[in-house]
Amino acid sequence: MPPLVEVSGLHFRYGKARVRGHDDAWTLRDLTLNIEDGSTLGVVGESGSGKSTLVRVLCGLLHPQQGAVRFDGRDIREWLSESQTDLRRRNQIVFQSPRRSLDPRMSIRRALGQPVRALERRVPSDTELIEWLERVGLGSEILQRYPHQLSGGQLQRVGIARAISVKPSVLYADEPVSALDVSVQAQVLNLLMDVRSQFGLTLVMVSHDLGVVSRLCEEVIVMKDGLIIEAGRTSEVLANPQTAYTESLVTAARTVSLAAPDH
Amino acid sequence: MLEIRDLSVSIGPHEIVHIDALDLPAGRRVGLVGESGSGKTMTAMSIVGLQPADAKVTGSITFEGSELLGRSETEMAKVRGGDIGLILQDPARALDPMMRIGRQVSEAIRLHMNLSRKEVVDRVLSLLAQVQLPDPEQLLRRYPHQLSGGQQQRVLIASAIACDPKLLIADEPTTALDVTVQEGILELLVQLSDERGMGVLFVSHDLGVVRFVCEEIAVVYGGRLVEVGPTTSVVRTSRHRYTESLLAANPGIAASDELEQYVGRRLDVIRGSVPALGDFPTGCRFRDRCDFASDACREPPPTMISEHGHRFRCWNPAGGDVDAAAG
Repeated sequence: MPPLVEVSGLHFRYGKARVRGHDDAWTLRDLTLNIEDGSTLGVVGESGSGKSTLVRVLCGLLHPQQGAVRFDGRDIREWLSESQTDLRRRNQIVFQSPRRSLDPRMSIRRALGQPVRALERRVPSDTELIEWLERVGLGSEILQRYPHQLSGGQLQRVGIARAISVKPSVLYADEPVSALDVSVQAQVLNLLMDVRSQFGLTLVMVSHDLGVVSRLCEEVIVMKDGLIIEAGRTSEVLANPQTAYTESLVTAARTVSLAAPDH
Repeated sequence: MLEIRDLSVSIGPHEIVHIDALDLPAGRRVGLVGESGSGKTMTAMSIVGLQPADAKVTGSITFEGSELLGRSETEMAKVRGGDIGLILQDPARALDPMMRIGRQVSEAIRLHMNLSRKEVVDRVLSLLAQVQLPDPEQLLRRYPHQLSGGQQQRVLIASAIACDPKLLIADEPTTALDVTVQEGILELLVQLSDERGMGVLFVSHDLGVVRFVCEEIAVVYGGRLVEVGPTTSVVRTSRHRYTESLLAANPGIAASDELEQYVGRRLDVIRGSVPALGDFPTGCRFRDRCDFASDACREPPPTMISEHGHRFRCWNPAGGDVDAAAG
């Protein structure tokens, strides 16, 4: 079976920012990458390395200037012109700040039903809404509430419930827990693992936290300045980093890891 | 140097913080750890008189022998940025976007010290060098948006230490930063504290970060101190069940030869979430989320039990019965 997502020679830059003779103008440079159906991929790197941009390009939200992205065997441009709603439905994103990704004036009932209304052109029943909430460990009482009445952890659960309501193939999670307390992070990470195995999702997780990635993702790519500088099985990349940059990420993560030896 | 006794902070009918005793000796780095809503920030802010206007603070906070509570706003303003420095979580919001870095860092110096213009500039340059920012001369004329998050946090540290404080309060100073940048900032804080003999009260939800910086850890839950002790002792042999669960929930990064077996393995979680104010159970405030709660926990927890300088209050402590002889 061909990979679910195939990326080759991908270049992307924002706007028309073009500096003659400078490769730096590219936010993403010459990326080649395959994502197998059902796999778990971590995307790590520092702020500005292009991680979030890559996710948006793979979902068809941003359009690359060069190179190609194929999703399920078809070029993404073809998807966008012929079956855009299908592409959107099958690629869902959970964002970093749950508070900013939900409309403050929309009740949870409306926010949760939004993807199905937009992509399946129908109004979900209360039974469905409650079932979606139950999947993520929330009760029906929050349906009439508004985002400001929920905690960060609850909002992130709503974000996950919304994303999986349209039965996607790939769930992109862009720093899904970095705005949360450590104790809440653990709950949300477990939830992501659960829904992934329950719905057979492919999970692509952007994170600057190698501890988180090492728990959830079997494969990892390391990005720096718009390039993929290292890729492989997470356990191998973290145990034997091949570049100085990856090594510095691992060292920094170990510094604040509880598993590190006492100093 | 800093002594907190019977500190109580209430808003309306709810007592948000009640800390019977917490000390910070001169030059020590103490971590205040807990989840959102545990009252850790409220505790730190009441030390410098920055609690919300409707909060009622009673008890005693002494700094170098003199009482801080009940001082007028003018007197507190002299303490803040003078003897006690402050760094907050989000550097981008703590800096004035319209103010050049030079002015920003010199603000405290101009308020607290009587120096000539030349002396102020020299001091700012030396501070920017101490927080390891490149090209201080250039930096003076820059605006905050021209700096990265890590550089902005270094600027804030420079302002906080500008008047040689004896105590630095840092509230989640690296939460908004990348891991590699975080490492640099944490190392800088430790180094500055060592060089200057400056005490640090480090507030964070992340025990991994606190462990790196602090010599002592105080864990708070529901506004109450549940465990205090030397870092290694609290992390390696935690006694309170809440500390134990917080440690277990931290994913961290496994040793190289164990990485393989951790992929896809669920994390240990603490059941439920921190209750809303006024919804905490009677007795031990953690008991409805604790896997070890027994009937005894309906009663208020025992007063702090002390073992080799490690204090905790729990009816069913991790690691077995209390070593009474060690008291």
